[in-house]
Amino acid sequence: MTEITLSIKGLRKKIGKREIIKGLDFELKSGEVFGFLGPNGAGKTTTIRMLVGLIRPTAGSIQVCGYDVKKNFVKAMSHLGCIVENPELYPYLTGLENLQHFSRMIPNFDSNHLEYVIKLVRLQDRINDPVKTYSLGMRQRLGIAQALLGKPKVLILDEPTNGLDPMGIREMREFIRFLAEKEGLTVLVSSHLLSEIQLMCDRVAVISKGKVIKVDTVKNLLHFQEQLVWKVSPVEEGKKLLQTVTTVKLDKENRLVTPLSDKSSSWNHMLVEHGIEVHEIQRKVPALEDLFLELTGGESVE
Amino acid sequence: MKKTYVSIISFLSIGAFLVMLFGFLWTIQNQLVKKETTVREQTQVVEEPEKRNEGKIIVALGDSLTRGTGDEEGKGYIGYLIEELEEKTDEKLTLHNYGVKGYRSEQLLSQVKGETIQNQIKNADVILMTIGGNDLFQGGQTLVSPDKEAIALIKEQYLNNLKETMDIIKSTNQDAIIYLVGLYNPFIDLDDAAMTTKVVRDWNYSTNQLLDQYSNSVFVPTFDLFQLKVNDYLFSDKFHPNSKGYRLIAERAASLITW
Amino acid sequence: MNKLIFNEMLKIIRKRKLIVVVAIMVVLISLFTYAQFREVQRQIEKLGDVDWRTTLQQQIVDTQNRLTSSGISDEWKAQLQIRVQQQQYYLDNNINPAEPGAPTFVRSFAQESITLFVPLLIMIIAADIVSSERSAGTVKLLLTRPVKRWKILLSKYIALLLSISIIVVLMGVLAYLISGVVFGFGGWNAPVLTGFTSIGGELNTSNVQLIDQWQYILMEFGLVWFVAIVVGTLSFMLSVLLKSTSASMGVMLAALIAGLILSNLVSSWQSAKYLFMINLDLTGYIAGSSPPVPGMTLLFSIGVLSIWAVGALLISFSVFVRQDVY
Repeated sequence: MTEITLSIKGLRKKIGKREIIKGLDFELKSGEVFGFLGPNGAGKTTTIRMLVGLIRPTAGSIQVCGYDVKKNFVKAMSHLGCIVENPELYPYLTGLENLQHFSRMIPNFDSNHLEYVIKLVRLQDRINDPVKTYSLGMRQRLGIAQALLGKPKVLILDEPTNGLDPMGIREMREFIRFLAEKEGLTVLVSSHLLSEIQLMCDRVAVISKGKVIKVDTVKNLLHFQEQLVWKVSPVEEGKKLLQTVTTVKLDKENRLVTPLSDKSSSWNHMLVEHGIEVHEIQRKVPALEDLFLELTGGESVE
Repeated sequence: MKKTYVSIISFLSIGAFLVMLFGFLWTIQNQLVKKETTVREQTQVVEEPEKRNEGKIIVALGDSLTRGTGDEEGKGYIGYLIEELEEKTDEKLTLHNYGVKGYRSEQLLSQVKGETIQNQIKNADVILMTIGGNDLFQGGQTLVSPDKEAIALIKEQYLNNLKETMDIIKSTNQDAIIYLVGLYNPFIDLDDAAMTTKVVRDWNYSTNQLLDQYSNSVFVPTFDLFQLKVNDYLFSDKFHPNSKGYRLIAERAASLITW
Repeated sequence: MNKLIFNEMLKIIRKRKLIVVVAIMVVLISLFTYAQFREVQRQIEKLGDVDWRTTLQQQIVDTQNRLTSSGISDEWKAQLQIRVQQQQYYLDNNINPAEPGAPTFVRSFAQESITLFVPLLIMIIAADIVSSERSAGTVKLLLTRPVKRWKILLSKYIALLLSISIIVVLMGVLAYLISGVVFGFGGWNAPVLTGFTSIGGELNTSNVQLIDQWQYILMEFGLVWFVAIVVGTLSFMLSVLLKSTSASMGVMLAALIAGLILSNLVSSWQSAKYLFMINLDLTGYIAGSSPPVPGMTLLFSIGVLSIWAVGALLISFSVFVRQDVY
């Protein structure tokens, strides 16, 4: 279950003189949902297009299940399914015709798989209607069905929840988790929405200005940043006192912030001994937003 | 259902592709490999068109006057002539106008040698001709710088051509009445009118003399029509008649035609 | 590969492109048939005689009169001269160049439509065959399949060739059926002369041969088909290069119309004969009309067109295979 399905080494892309992607390295394992997080313009879409062979990298290599996308395009692509940006299907064909169209491009396609995929995305009822009559959520599902046709090991979804309503977003999230856990797929999900990544990914790569800033599990990243928030009075004296044992910051609401530590009970004791009132001690798990701000040094995320 | 439809069209397309490819290659082969066959051997003489009994057939031959150059209404003397004749008779009239602007006598001759023209002549009841103007005037040059010997030479050639033309017409159709419209002098208002007038009169005289040798042929004089007030009857090129001029010629010719 | 071609045919058909083309053809052919019918009526009225020799002789005289009028261009004059000589040749050999009937209509229709009408129809399909995938974004799905890019483009090109073939054949069939209702369906075996060449404004009849009309029509449609493929290939290239369908149609249309205008102007500009749009009138060679630039021959034009088409294909494939898709 831990084989590496997608590996990226030293990936670079120059357009003209501008280097858009400045060397990316990461590896994805089977059965995991990998988040690809960054603000708009960070290079997410360009990277994804390089992964699926739409754009040629200037340097570096991409391997899908051991096959190089550049040198062995056909083999690599037969293990990969993707939706790049919106799932643009042929509106004048029916859903079934669209899927048949793409299935004819897969060598030795087993037609039983077509029905399985349609059931998987729950489109049985509308599959014979023209795609132009579909809602966005249905198109998104048809897009996924299309990506799953080739029984891929790696599924790449670019902004899969874009434009969906909250219900659709939740469905999509559950579906992605299902694919990873039950089908053993590697799913790469890009997003500029932190909450989304936080909720569905196992690991995340944070990308900014064409560089990966951090790759880690979501849990680790969050744990690493866990903090304690102290509400004390008087504040100034409490701060002075804590500064003798750890680093202290003052937040906007006039509270003291320190790193999480197993010595926190002794710190509390110390404060009380010196006659400072401790009203509240709160353990704070920061959102990825805070993390991102910290990692990128202030670059904003939507 | 939809799938078979696409398949059928696809297969038809493949068939179409092959047929077209064959046609294309065959064209190249056909056009590039020179063949020795000549056409004449393969063609056979086609049955003569039947002489029709109803109505009268008029065949007009000759130069720009027959064509009607200079007439604002584009009818020419032939057009007005037909109008006049239609008033005079109840017969159905069919006109074939083979006049070509700028024709000289030798061109007319080669035209009447053509089989189709001869077929038309054969059926004709009346044949109208205007010829010689381009021989003599050659666009106005001859009479501007007159040279007696040159004119004599031109006239001789003209008469020979005309004679041959008449022979052909007569041998094709004995009965048709031939009307040959004579020349007028478009330069009668100019300085050396006396000289040009003499040349034109001589020309008309010789033409008339030639016609006398044939039965059923009539010379239609026009010199007198244009003798006075010539400019009232000429087009702006001071050479071809205008509508009034054509009308005059038509009236005169019409009065001569009898069935 | 067959499946890929099937996919492309499916898209062309389901996009109703073929139906549109057929509809245009039906409307225009009906229009031309009616115009032709009126023309025949007028001739009968005017001459009171249906013998073709009379009509042809009258046409010769009419053309000769046009020749003598001042103010016509030298190119046009040369054309008319050739025409007169040709008509005279038909007359002398007692062959009717316009045997009444649907096949004659088909023959003249193909001749008239080769430079503009057929290329326009082809453009409707060829101009968007690649660019529509791009503007709709479906190209991203198409190019992330386990199929090499050149195969995808090749399948599109073959589908285009097939569509062109069926359109050209359909044009012939429709022209035959529609005009046949008015003019009658017979006349396939009427004799037609071909092999006229013109040298310096004079008609050379040394290679003239007599063939059946159906043979002539087959040859003509072969040439129309070839021209359609060349125009289709060029539109195909534009469709690869330009993102928008209307842009590639516009460029192609401009080139075609420029070709029509230039054909009447360029007899003194020798190197214009290497432009593809000057060479489109291939049927003119077998009919024996004088070429736009003196010295051009059927083989020369086919050669020039082939070079353009091959060049366009090379550009299309090399660009499409390397192109980054955003």
